[in-house]
Amino acid sequence: MPIRTPHFPDLLFGPAERLRRWEASLMALLAEHGYRELHPSLVLREPVPDGALRFFDGDDLVALRWDFTVALAALLARSFPEPPPRVAYAGAVFRRPLQPWEATERFEVGCERIQPEGEPSGEADLELARLLMAIPGTLGLKNAILHLGNAALVRRPLEAETLPADLAQAVVAALSRRAPHRVAQALEGHPAAARLTAHAEALLSELDGPRSLQALARSPYAALLQDDVVRMERALDGLLPILPTHLELRVDLADVAGLDFYTGPTLRLWAPGAQQELASGGRYDRLFPGLGKPWQAAGFCVRLSRLLDLAGTRPDLFEEPR
Amino acid sequence: MSAPTLLIAFPKGRLGDDLVPKLAGTPLALDPVALKSRVLRIPTATPGVAALLLKGADLPRYVAAGVASLGIVGSDTLDEMDMDLLELADLGFGACRLSLCAQTGVTLDELRAKPHLRLATKFPKATEAWLTREGLTAELVPLSSSAELAPLLGLADAIVDLVQTGGTLKAHGLVETAILGRSSARLVAARGAYLSEPGRIRPLAEALIAALKG
Repeated sequence: MPIRTPHFPDLLFGPAERLRRWEASLMALLAEHGYRELHPSLVLREPVPDGALRFFDGDDLVALRWDFTVALAALLARSFPEPPPRVAYAGAVFRRPLQPWEATERFEVGCERIQPEGEPSGEADLELARLLMAIPGTLGLKNAILHLGNAALVRRPLEAETLPADLAQAVVAALSRRAPHRVAQALEGHPAAARLTAHAEALLSELDGPRSLQALARSPYAALLQDDVVRMERALDGLLPILPTHLELRVDLADVAGLDFYTGPTLRLWAPGAQQELASGGRYDRLFPGLGKPWQAAGFCVRLSRLLDLAGTRPDLFEEPR
Repeated sequence: MSAPTLLIAFPKGRLGDDLVPKLAGTPLALDPVALKSRVLRIPTATPGVAALLLKGADLPRYVAAGVASLGIVGSDTLDEMDMDLLELADLGFGACRLSLCAQTGVTLDELRAKPHLRLATKFPKATEAWLTREGLTAELVPLSSSAELAPLLGLADAIVDLVQTGGTLKAHGLVETAILGRSSARLVAARGAYLSEPGRIRPLAEALIAALKG
């Protein structure tokens, strides 16, 4: 049994000053690009998942804000007849940690690009990727890596094969482990086993620049995924010419983190040597329809708590503050 | 500032005994002098890369936390611990079965028919999963070693344990009555190290696969 001790991060002078400075710089960057701040309440009264910190307020079970995107979606859906196109947020979320060393309180800054359903979304996805490319410079990270993925590359083949939910979940778990042999093991005896194992091997064969997309030609689902590949190629054409020198761009075909949430392109920001991604996001077009709004959305979140940890353990990765 | 030393976690015990000779002569060969000493951090033939010798049950935690970037561990241990790490390859060696074993003459049907079945094991998660698949219930007796003694001394009706050749079972008058799963050595990687420094980690992972697989 894991031993859990509460990890509530108190910030002393240096990290507290850094947090305030980073929040201000990031919110200024987002404001420059037309993103306006919304601040959902810290205390939620909606139904909340097991992972939230919950407590009783009198007879009411309430929870602390556990995720900005979900809290914002509820706020937007009940407050606006039409979607505000660009929204930003900054503050803390509170979650029960999955691993003993994770903090309960996490500081985040993020943004969302919201459109009416059916509008072309390619330009909005590119806008978010360009913004995320500016984040390392804003934070003073000397080097960073941007991973581009697409949830459709896994979602579409699984849907096409109409895998039962538990089997699909086992395949996604194996892909998350980057273990094609586990995909084969999970699908043993299933008619789609050979096809999906070959697809997993194609997805996991490369973790490189734009040439990674060529690996999909070896997938049995290459034709099914052709439109998604074309969209990824267009995105790369739009991003590569403006890539800052300190940023590396990689295509991660096997990015399945949050596959039950993301529906299209995904973005992840890493620093060389970091143990966790520093920012993440993507397209999640099913969120607002689930709340009764015909809107589509994409966004990303910068994990300031992880950046504070990284600045403490690997200060060599950051420029000296001016 | 130069990159910190990259650590690879190797298991002590049965798997470790198998893999050390396989690494001899490769860029990841372990320093023989250090191996003979009591130190647990061993230089390899590649500068900037060192090996940690760890107990199998502790190894996934070192990799999941990113302390070690790569590791070799049995899939039985991985399945029990369910840590967040990458599993890059099935290396094939160290193959064994996870089996339900009882005293000679006791059949699976007799075990199924017991109103209160007691199983001793250090693999409670795999045992629970098998019991669920079979529609059985049992009292699990957690043990960390020498499970073979449990049925002989009345601590349990049977055990769930790893079986490689069957020699230890035979020596204790036990036989396999059902195979619950199979285990082999796996190459694991820290998610962060692999995704943030693939240029540094992937060549080492490929060298380990070349030296150890098949």
